[in-house]
Amino acid sequence: MSWSRTRHHLLSPLGVVTVVLLLLLVATAVVAPLLLGDRATEIAGGALQAGPSVAHPFGTDALGRDVLARTLVATRLSLVLALLVVGIGVACGLIIGTVPVVLGRRAGRAVVAGLNLMVAFPGLLLALFLAMIFGVGARGAVLSMAIAFAPSFARLTHTTASGVANADYVSAARLLRVPRWRILTRHVVPNISEPLVVNATSQVGAALLSISALSYIGFGVQPPQYDWGRMLADGLPAIYTNPAAALAPSIMIVVAGLAFVLAGELLTQVLGGSQHGHLRIPSLRSPRRDPAPAETPPPGDEVLRLERLTVTVPGETAPFSPVVDVSMRLRRGEIVGLVGESGSGKSLTAMAAAQLTSYPNVAEADVHRIKGNELRRMRPRDRERLLGTSLAMVFQDPMSSLNPTLKVGRQLAEVAETHERLGRRDAWRRAVDRLSAVLITDPEARAKQYPMAFSGGMRQRASIAMGLMAQPALIVADEPTTALDVTVQKEVLGLLRRISRETGAAVLLISHDIAVVAENASRVLVMYAGRVVEELPVSGLAEAAHPYTRALIASIPDMSTDRSRPLANIPGRPPHASDLPLGCAFAPRCGRADDRCRQARPELADSGGGGAVACWHPLLPALESEA
Amino acid sequence: MRLSFRTRHPWPVFLIRRLGRFVVSLAVVVTASFAMVHALPGDPVRGALGLMAPPETIAATRERLGLNDPLWRQYLDYLWNLLHLDLGTSLETQTPVGEKMAQLVPATLQLGLTAFVVCLAVAIPVGLLLGIATRDGRGRGLHFGFGGVTGLALSVPDYLVAVGLVFVFAVSLEALPVAGLSGPASFVLPVTALVVGPAAYLARIVRAETQRVLGEDYIRAARAKRLPARLIYLRHALPNTLTPTLTVSGMILASMVAGTVLVENVFAWPGVGAELVHSVLAKDYPVVQAVALFFGAGILLINLAVDIAIAVIDPRSTIKES
Amino acid sequence: MLELRDIVVRYGHGQGAVTAVDEVSLTVAAGSIVGLVGESGSGKSTLARAAVGLAPLTSGTILWKGAALDAHGSPPLQYVFQDPYASLNPRMSVGASIAEGLPRASGRRERPARVTELLEMVRLDPGDVHKRPRQLSGGQRQRVAIARALAAEPEVLIADEITSALDVSVQGAVLNLLKEIQTRTGVGILFISHNLAVVRYMADSIAVMKSGRLVEHGTTEDVIERSEHPYTKQLLEAIPTVTMGQGVVGSNPVVPTA
Repeated sequence: MSWSRTRHHLLSPLGVVTVVLLLLLVATAVVAPLLLGDRATEIAGGALQAGPSVAHPFGTDALGRDVLARTLVATRLSLVLALLVVGIGVACGLIIGTVPVVLGRRAGRAVVAGLNLMVAFPGLLLALFLAMIFGVGARGAVLSMAIAFAPSFARLTHTTASGVANADYVSAARLLRVPRWRILTRHVVPNISEPLVVNATSQVGAALLSISALSYIGFGVQPPQYDWGRMLADGLPAIYTNPAAALAPSIMIVVAGLAFVLAGELLTQVLGGSQHGHLRIPSLRSPRRDPAPAETPPPGDEVLRLERLTVTVPGETAPFSPVVDVSMRLRRGEIVGLVGESGSGKSLTAMAAAQLTSYPNVAEADVHRIKGNELRRMRPRDRERLLGTSLAMVFQDPMSSLNPTLKVGRQLAEVAETHERLGRRDAWRRAVDRLSAVLITDPEARAKQYPMAFSGGMRQRASIAMGLMAQPALIVADEPTTALDVTVQKEVLGLLRRISRETGAAVLLISHDIAVVAENASRVLVMYAGRVVEELPVSGLAEAAHPYTRALIASIPDMSTDRSRPLANIPGRPPHASDLPLGCAFAPRCGRADDRCRQARPELADSGGGGAVACWHPLLPALESEA
Repeated sequence: MRLSFRTRHPWPVFLIRRLGRFVVSLAVVVTASFAMVHALPGDPVRGALGLMAPPETIAATRERLGLNDPLWRQYLDYLWNLLHLDLGTSLETQTPVGEKMAQLVPATLQLGLTAFVVCLAVAIPVGLLLGIATRDGRGRGLHFGFGGVTGLALSVPDYLVAVGLVFVFAVSLEALPVAGLSGPASFVLPVTALVVGPAAYLARIVRAETQRVLGEDYIRAARAKRLPARLIYLRHALPNTLTPTLTVSGMILASMVAGTVLVENVFAWPGVGAELVHSVLAKDYPVVQAVALFFGAGILLINLAVDIAIAVIDPRSTIKES
Repeated sequence: MLELRDIVVRYGHGQGAVTAVDEVSLTVAAGSIVGLVGESGSGKSTLARAAVGLAPLTSGTILWKGAALDAHGSPPLQYVFQDPYASLNPRMSVGASIAEGLPRASGRRERPARVTELLEMVRLDPGDVHKRPRQLSGGQRQRVAIARALAAEPEVLIADEITSALDVSVQGAVLNLLKEIQTRTGVGILFISHNLAVVRYMADSIAVMKSGRLVEHGTTEDVIERSEHPYTKQLLEAIPTVTMGQGVVGSNPVVPTA
């Protein structure tokens, strides 16, 4: 944590309010008993339970003592008791919380079970019963509250510590035979102290409220001592004659409690660092060029047409565009691959192509046609219907893209129910049919199961089946096999190819793995830093013109890679989309780059052989032997 | 892989384990309430009857309560009596504790359950709507406003809300009854006092959960299916927020039980909570034991009910639990 | 050399027990790279973790140069984890993390020089020594993790899916580095990956695991070109290649004609 960030948080409205409140509280606790101690106990004759006056701004209590002075003086005792509770509670909690680690598995589990039972009971309730054992009075109240608070802190300590103790970096240190105490002091304590400190701070507020509650019902501070809770108990019966006597301590309790809760939040921000909050949200750029006039009627077999798609996302200083001017056209039955490394913008492109860009991201395109329909000119209802019936999505992680609380069949059936107004039974029957179409055995029984009963490959096939509920013209598959094993990957990709061949659906296959694309697609778009840098038929991959495409292919070891030579790789790392170089984004990592590359960005231009490339110095097939 | 009995029959395994845990926990609570008396410093009978009580009375009371028997004997007697719903006799009023509890328990249950229902009815819709309105970082003003209001509501404890309500409605406006249980109007202030904090907390949780769920892949998949918003929120999002919501609801009900102790005091509500304070101060320990059992068993039952409800709603949890 | 004999790792007991590793024996000789390949849930990582004591051993023996592992002194085995985002303490600088691996006998004075040397060995800028892990990219973090493991001067290094969290364009550099270090220092490496092509490139011999069992084990050439177990063949067939087959499955030559 840097000082400038700390200062930034301290100077925020939250920081200023918190610090001022805490300083005021501490100052009052220190100074008030010295200055007002006498006045608070002085019995002013005659004016018992008087309402507010100039001499007594909050009136007097049952013995005629000044309520304001007493409230201020009581700050010290109230705070000290709260701090004692948290101090003792934290100490006990830390000890109990670390015991399971020391005791070994079985005894540790018993301690944890005990803690879980204790935590189920509200602390105040525990404290009330403990108060009977410890006796009424400040000491008893502090001890009962501390003991009641300890279990929850112990559990927090235990969960955080065991989380850290199982972290890879602790395992690594153990394997390096770093001594136990050093693992504790250098790895465990620094990484668990943060949540514990934050929690303890806000607990001071809670302790203050609870101790006041105990005093209020007569279990805590006993006369002649007084804290806010005691004063509340004394003032409440007289609420009709002098409400201020009850309200003054109430206000102080709330303010003090709030101060510590805020302090906890502030600490979280300072220590944890909230990344959010300073992002600039993009707005729709003012009227961008109208949808291109329907110059040429789209060819009959065109399924998807995107022209100059740009996706803009929020950034720390300004919104930026991780996808810029991406164009593509997919025809019936065609499988087109979209390849790029992480951060290249390929997934955002996929989402935008499927009209799934969600707030705060903004996607704009000059042309966005599906089956010849310009989406921007359609009424929302028609558009949803068109997309619902002719577009299917397959997401990367089949473990999370099926709803865990709905039966698989239900998730399929609802598509037909929504878009084709099919009855429940018909929709279900179709769902079963589609599950069998993706080769799920015993589809009737499987449809009635929840996703958790499915294996990864089966789930991915089920989500493909979901897309088949209607008659999809376009399937957008975003890294559909990245989360799967290779043998399963082969099945799933084979299924996609079969569907495309049999139904004529076009597939936009997004992958980081150029080999996956090469095996399944007929055409490839290569993305780098948000732009398409090369487009080419799969057959031309070996002779790709863009140095990046070549390097990407070369860097994947396959079964014919020469084992005696170093693997090809690309030096450096891709630039961040918010901080792109002036010229070609690949120039800093490119062996062929010259000044021109660093100064001006090349546009996508015909590279011959049915491809296009954005490069000033494309590799030409003839030059291959030389390069 | 061979399926184990556990994965083939998640339900019976879950129920047996969960009920087993309940019984063990209940045994712990019963034992604790028994042990409480023996942890008291000094002679509990003398403590209760006062220093001026004649030694014969004390000796007789000790004999009657069986305090002279060996500890194991006392424990077995205690269990035996509990099984026969015999909670002993109050040291203060010399009346059976069971009768007293029979009068107090309904009042507390009425108060607590009304508050709980009101809390759920307010917090869940509010949290859900706000979660939808602030999804993906939309509506920043709403976000901060909601955070501020609930944060404030959370930092004012129930007994101070009660004091404030008494001041505003009963003293200043003279609109509502301040004390006692007398018809529906008398519920308004105590229920409000109990509900404010927990409702703010629950609404926060529901909102955060809704936001989290709306960011999940399966919601993206539901949007890709172009389902109407109603189905996305109610069929796909809501059930997934229920598990944490129920867990928190259980905690809230438990904390409301504790809250009744203080709130009943402010409003002179004739319930178990007010009696607890009285009997602890009077050192009337048979009553304290009975109240401890009531609260302890009540909270365990709440937790049991929540876990079973979660298992019914969320098909994943039965296996996780067992 | 490291010898794993009849290793069994079983979790849970009774009917719910799951056998993650089932009687697997494997030897890693000094100076060699042994590849261990398998799909998720095959038990390959569990086996490796059991070898260094990160997973509980149900039965079997681990021998180091014919004797049981010595719990004291400089550890002969080191482990590089899969996820470089989790394997470095976020609160320790790069230098401090690496220095932790140095033998305790090494003098205080020599430590900074040794850390610099290690940073250079993994091709990191020695000026990065004060950086925190969050300031580094995934590839750089993985290099730090390798440097930390090398600091202990191990005789066998276990590399568990060390490139699966990295982009392909960076993967090559990390793999080259590992191979180069192996040639330079003669350390033995147990190289675990789900990617058979990567294992083939790295390893001298390959072990194939499936459902906790070792189904095939032999020299890289034997396993790739004359694989015996049907599962190995299945794995080989499943690997996608850029060796353009124009999208017709099975038409791409998987086995290079030697």
